[in-house]
Amino acid sequence: MKSDAGGTRPGPAARTLARMEGLFSRAFGGENNPFHHLGALTIFFFYVALVTGIYLFIFYRTSLEGAWESVEYLTREQWYAGGIMRSLHRYASDAAVITLGIHLVRELVRGRMKGPRWFSWITGMPLVWIVIVFGISGYWMVWDQLAQYVAVSTAQLVDWLPIFTDPMSRNFISNEAVSSRLFTLIAFIHLVGLPIVLVLGIWFHLLRIRYPRINPPRKLMLGSMAGLLALSVVFPVFSHPPADLDRVPVSLDIDWFYLAIFPLQAVTSEGVVWALGTGGTILLAILPWLPPRKREAVAEVHLPDCTGCGFCAEDCPYGAIDMVARTDGRNFELEAKVNADLCVSCGICTGSCPSSSPFRQREPLTTGIELPQFPIDRLRREIDQERGRADNSILLLGCDHGPTVDALASDDIHTLSLPCVGMTPPASIDYAMRATGYAGVVIAGCEGCDCHHRLGERWTQERIERIRQPALRKRVPRERLLSVWLKVGQEKRLASQVEAFRNTLEESRKDDGDKNPQGADAREVVQ
Amino acid sequence: MSRPIRIIGQTATWLGLAALVAALAQGPAFSPVADGHGELRLSMAHLAERLVPCRPLTEEERLALPPTRRVTEICERGRSPTVIELRLDGELLVRETVTAAGWHNDGRAYLVTTFAVPAGEHRLRMSLRDTPRDEGFDMEKEFTLRLESGDAALLEVGDGDVRLKAPDRH
Repeated sequence: MKSDAGGTRPGPAARTLARMEGLFSRAFGGENNPFHHLGALTIFFFYVALVTGIYLFIFYRTSLEGAWESVEYLTREQWYAGGIMRSLHRYASDAAVITLGIHLVRELVRGRMKGPRWFSWITGMPLVWIVIVFGISGYWMVWDQLAQYVAVSTAQLVDWLPIFTDPMSRNFISNEAVSSRLFTLIAFIHLVGLPIVLVLGIWFHLLRIRYPRINPPRKLMLGSMAGLLALSVVFPVFSHPPADLDRVPVSLDIDWFYLAIFPLQAVTSEGVVWALGTGGTILLAILPWLPPRKREAVAEVHLPDCTGCGFCAEDCPYGAIDMVARTDGRNFELEAKVNADLCVSCGICTGSCPSSSPFRQREPLTTGIELPQFPIDRLRREIDQERGRADNSILLLGCDHGPTVDALASDDIHTLSLPCVGMTPPASIDYAMRATGYAGVVIAGCEGCDCHHRLGERWTQERIERIRQPALRKRVPRERLLSVWLKVGQEKRLASQVEAFRNTLEESRKDDGDKNPQGADAREVVQ
Repeated sequence: MSRPIRIIGQTATWLGLAALVAALAQGPAFSPVADGHGELRLSMAHLAERLVPCRPLTEEERLALPPTRRVTEICERGRSPTVIELRLDGELLVRETVTAAGWHNDGRAYLVTTFAVPAGEHRLRMSLRDTPRDEGFDMEKEFTLRLESGDAALLEVGDGDVRLKAPDRH
């Protein structure tokens, strides 16, 4: 479905997902909904695994005999600390796979890998592999029967590739073939090599994102920790009997989050596992370009209206705007320059530009930076549609990715769906009330910490609360402004909130003697 | 939503996460080998015969070489592929032709593979061809293999020796 600005609106899958996530918003509130912080939660679980892993390594012995014994000591004799740490280490790693998996599916369903976002999507692919290899290498360290099975199966997988002439499997063919050096090597890989690679991978993943959320809200950290800690106490992790390569394990309690590939390998073949792994990765990697579609026009800078203030560069969620030396000879130091490869066409920059004031008497209205498919002049014309008959009306500004506002349009509700509510210049709210004469303005955008364009809802709120420039003027009566943050599919809730707001406006108008909003044609001149 | 219900919802979420982790972190159990079976491992690292035998250098050829590199014989690099056949109680387990490793096929022929074998006593016959001929075998060995459920036996084929290593309970 196309939006007013020509963009794509959420499809049925995204709406279903939003409906399900809405249940969690009811329990946690939008800003603390775990689904809004899946990437940050995954990193948090990595932290937990890192800290618990450091504790475990203090007692770990990197030798053939010592590996299993030291883990067993931690699990049995030091159960109150080492045992819980071990369980927490395992369970946090498993939880990371869950949040990582949901994070991937969620971004896929919401189409947030398209356009310039391809970079974060592609750099996320290696992270999945790194996390899986990280987990598998951890299982080697225990050197119990499960470790034996994992080591042998991993070696068979590697041997399938034409890398080594001397097969890796020969190192696990008998007890005599395994040396203590293996544990020094695997400890180095698990404790030093892979964590560094993972951190680098996360850095790349977040490279094109401004203000990334690395840490989840404290509420989520505490809640998830409590859940995993309770699990560690109630169902502690135990080792299998020590590895014995003269035997073959008959029954293994597998961690299916990390080790599911090995049963798959056993029932199919190494070739099938590699084909599924690489094929799946390639398929996911090309999804940003499937199906090919025309890219939306990116933001354009209009130098006569750009003062080089830098607000747009500060607010752009994808760092698509650079402030560069002035090129037009005007008496300003800098000007904005859009990097088209990074711009997602959200229009948040228009909302942050101080020149985006509909009060300006210019025809057509222009501003410092705007989307060609939804210029500021169109926004003013849309607002002005109700001029002269707006005194009982509400202007409902929606977002293409939040609750759909079109259905609420009526004689006294004028709706307009923007690419992102962050595109709303605060001056346009003032203008809608003072110049056009709307009784009230409603801003309905994506739920807290879940803006499709990452920061639109946050910047809008901060501009309204006057803690971010350009701020909403003090003179704007806040009782005539309602901001609603909901998910797509929550149109009924939006309708009821708008209805309640309309009733409140009605009552206050009666109380005020039904007086008209001031100055219907009083246009403010901004130089 | 009232605060108690929100707290219940949040608790249920974290318990749900813990339950999901618990359900798949340590099970369901998987059996790599069927009940009543053991495993036979074949590990081969065998240096086969050269495709072209080494020949002594003539005196003229020796004198043509630098003084420090005057070897007595010259050898072509290629080695014959190794054909290995394994039969358990007369039934063919594997018959594989393994190319010698290396760019010039002058290294060892490597093969590692495993077979699930029912517990009990079996006759194991290994046949190996490592010379450049088309038929027949250069080495044949027969072993008695006794396995209990969960046992792993190793048939190790080296350069000149073949040995079966099975758990010894006697």
